Amino acid sequence: MLKMIIPTMMLLPTTWFSKNNLIWINLTTHSLIISLIPLLFFNQINNNLTSHSTHLSSDPLTTPLLTLTAWLLPLMIMASQYHMYNESPLRKKLYLSMMIFLQISLIMTFMATELILFYILFETTLIPTLIIITRWGNQAERLNASTYFLFYTLAGSLPLLIMLMFTHNNLGSLNIPLLTLMTQNMTTTWSHNLIWLACMMAFMVKMPLYGLHLWLPKAHVEAPIAGSMVLAAVLLKLGGYGMMRLTSILNPLTEYMAYPFLMLSLWGMIMTSSTCLRQTDLKSLIAYSSVSHMALVIMASLIQTPWSFTGAIILMIAHGLTSSMLFCLANSNYERTHSRIMMLSRGLQTLLPLMAFWWFVANLTNLALPPTINLIGELLVVVTSFSWSYITIALTGLNMLITALYSIYMFITTQRGALTSHIISMKPSFTRENMLMFMHISPIILLSLNPSIIMGFTP
Amino acid sequence: MIRRVLPHGLGRGLLTRRPGTRRGGFSLDWDGKVSEIKKKIKSILPGTSCDLLPDTSHLPPEHSDVVIVGGGVLGLSVAYWLKKLESRRGGIRVLVVERDHTYSQASIGLSVGGICQQFSLPENIQLSLFSASFLRNINEYLAVTNAPPLDLQFNPSGYLLLASEKDAAAMESNVKVQKQEGAKVCLMSPDQLRNKFPWINTEGVALASYGMENEGWFDPWCLLQGLRQKVESMGVFFCQGEVTRFVSSSQRMLTTDDEMVILKRIHEVHVKMDHSLEYQPVECAIVINAAGAWSAQIAALAGIGKGPPGTLQGTKLPVEPRKRYVYVWHCPQGPGLETPLVADTSGAYFRREGLGSNYLGGRSPTEEEEPDPTNLEVDHDFFQEKVWPHLALRVPAFETLKVQTAWAAYDDYNTFDQNGVVGPHPLVVNMYFATGFSGHGLQQAPGVGRAVAEMILQGSFQTIDLSSFLFNRFYSGEKTQENNTM
Repeated sequence: MLKMIIPTMMLLPTTWFSKNNLIWINLTTHSLIISLIPLLFFNQINNNLTSHSTHLSSDPLTTPLLTLTAWLLPLMIMASQYHMYNESPLRKKLYLSMMIFLQISLIMTFMATELILFYILFETTLIPTLIIITRWGNQAERLNASTYFLFYTLAGSLPLLIMLMFTHNNLGSLNIPLLTLMTQNMTTTWSHNLIWLACMMAFMVKMPLYGLHLWLPKAHVEAPIAGSMVLAAVLLKLGGYGMMRLTSILNPLTEYMAYPFLMLSLWGMIMTSSTCLRQTDLKSLIAYSSVSHMALVIMASLIQTPWSFTGAIILMIAHGLTSSMLFCLANSNYERTHSRIMMLSRGLQTLLPLMAFWWFVANLTNLALPPTINLIGELLVVVTSFSWSYITIALTGLNMLITALYSIYMFITTQRGALTSHIISMKPSFTRENMLMFMHISPIILLSLNPSIIMGFTP
Repeated sequence: MIRRVLPHGLGRGLLTRRPGTRRGGFSLDWDGKVSEIKKKIKSILPGTSCDLLPDTSHLPPEHSDVVIVGGGVLGLSVAYWLKKLESRRGGIRVLVVERDHTYSQASIGLSVGGICQQFSLPENIQLSLFSASFLRNINEYLAVTNAPPLDLQFNPSGYLLLASEKDAAAMESNVKVQKQEGAKVCLMSPDQLRNKFPWINTEGVALASYGMENEGWFDPWCLLQGLRQKVESMGVFFCQGEVTRFVSSSQRMLTTDDEMVILKRIHEVHVKMDHSLEYQPVECAIVINAAGAWSAQIAALAGIGKGPPGTLQGTKLPVEPRKRYVYVWHCPQGPGLETPLVADTSGAYFRREGLGSNYLGGRSPTEEEEPDPTNLEVDHDFFQEKVWPHLALRVPAFETLKVQTAWAAYDDYNTFDQNGVVGPHPLVVNMYFATGFSGHGLQQAPGVGRAVAEMILQGSFQTIDLSSFLFNRFYSGEKTQENNTM
């Protein structure tokens, strides 16, 4: 595991000691090389954890998320190059250091064997994200946005800390494989209900669950592009990952306690998808679409069947790449027109046809077109929720319809139609941007050919 | 023994303590510091709004999708229609930047306030017709909850245009166009004139056209206030400041005739606050130039007209401020209450003002007599020599009148063809114009506002086609001449 952590930590001196004109090249190259390392973890012989050390281990749940995180760092660095152009070298290096620090904490979060280590790193990821949003965000509302983000997540995760302490006292250890062997039966008493709530709340807020999602549109819209990418792609998945880890110690209470959250997820899916149809701000639309997709993941984690866990993992990877790509596309639009309103940049297909192709593919994967992994994930989740209760098919089916509606609406508004007269002159697409989009879409396409590697515990 | 050794003065200061002095180094403003620290602690404690970023409430926002330079009737009309035609509420952020919130020099407050459809261009007629219906239904358009309804004090007395022998044929064809567009205008012979208006002297008049409906005058200040109230309630940001700079990016491109042009895109507008050096860069996607008489300055800031003359690059915005005088006089034997706004063959015009036998009027000066537009001082001799004789000739009762007051106003005069400029600039791609109406901006403001909003939101003019008012005509040389200017 050190083969991954030491290079990532060494990216920090690379940033600070590089010559000013070589920072981006150095960092992008090195982080690309580091992103190849998690591919070594994919070949796991058994379903048990592959220990890399006493504190860090990986298993089929962790590895796809780890690969996603590692793959995303070079993409984040590439995406930030334009808007950081005019800043002083010190500021640039600080920005990159924040991203690398975030990367280190994320890698260790996904690899943590001990739940307390996981918790500490989970909280640690908040700090660099907060700094990125507050210092480099675009508008004055970013202070409000970062306050919401910080306090929602903190308030949700403090009960988790208490529960982890309690569990450690009771069971003696918080080692993940040991926990699965040592668990006691959780019954439906009040105290056990509260224990369940305390454990799950942090991740519900992080996912986010529909009633607790208020921080997400704010944080996503106000964050700079790298912040939006990492928020959408990885930080939301921390919630899913945590939920899947903790449900192993909360049996069989989950079948009982999960009801209200399943209802909220089902309802929230439809509500947030419908909100997407009414959005004028492009980034806000993509943020609400994130909430909608993650509601499916919450549902899957709470139903706890093998197929649902598989669906949840595939959906997390697929959504991470797609959402991040949509944010990059929205950002390329914003950098040119300086406005996030969809109505003011219409008909871009005539002006930037290649970018229109990327928009098209991103929107197709967003609406879960077969045979992409988005569809496989959604389908698995929908099937398991149908087996849990027949009626959910109406809601999940409606959600798929509305997702298709707003994805196509987003595509048609920005790309099709007559070009508005105030955007007839725009900088053409940079190679960097096209490369960025390609690097987002190629994992999706390659994984669609062989999704068994990200299928989690049961291939 | 110590006392003997130490120097005298120093010993005094060190060993004795005078009343009224403090011990310790910092006696500077300790009280002030304590209150500051107290304020800071109070701001962090819950219960009060915590603002860690410095207070910028007097500055415009850092980002606005549309920035409208100029808060007169045209700017506010564009803001109103942008907000009205956006399909989702709260979709576009609009900022209106106005240099002078008292509107002391704006054309709107000093305007005569007339509205008429007697133009020669069909577009102008359509615009005025729409404005008339807008003003008639103003309380449906500009309704704000809990605000009293607007009273425009519309006097529907009509316009009377008089034509001499040589202009009679043009007037006839104009009236035909007007009737085609739906304006209610009729032609009158000198006999009919004398019948209807006994106070008129028809010497030199061959033909007259009289607007019977949708014409007259109203209170422009009321329209401005109504628009302002409504637009604020729709969520448009207002800011008092001056636009000093546009930050733009440009690209060199070749046209199809192999001419090198520079296409520019404005990214930021620097808005400077009044009486201070503070400015706020506002990031924007679209800039609308509705600065009236000062539109040329704003256009020059954006780089319009910087290039060799005769090319599209070097075509300036030909809008200049022109000073027009308006005089108010009292004449107890003057024409009665039904008097329309009379525009004489000589260019002098007058209308009734109020119910106390007051009239106001003036005359457009010829090119040689153009007054100096650097200030708004009134030239009373102009009335004595150039206006009064014509008035007295046309209305004999005006031979005895007493001038009560006078003022001067700026017209945003389009030196090219005296008609407005509407629509985007071909090279500075995100600057739209809504200016240059040379004296009839007020009556065409609602229509023009809607046209610009349609251009921005839907890509082309939907209701009234104002393509002949685009900027390109200054380069191609095709004048959209209006023959009936007053």
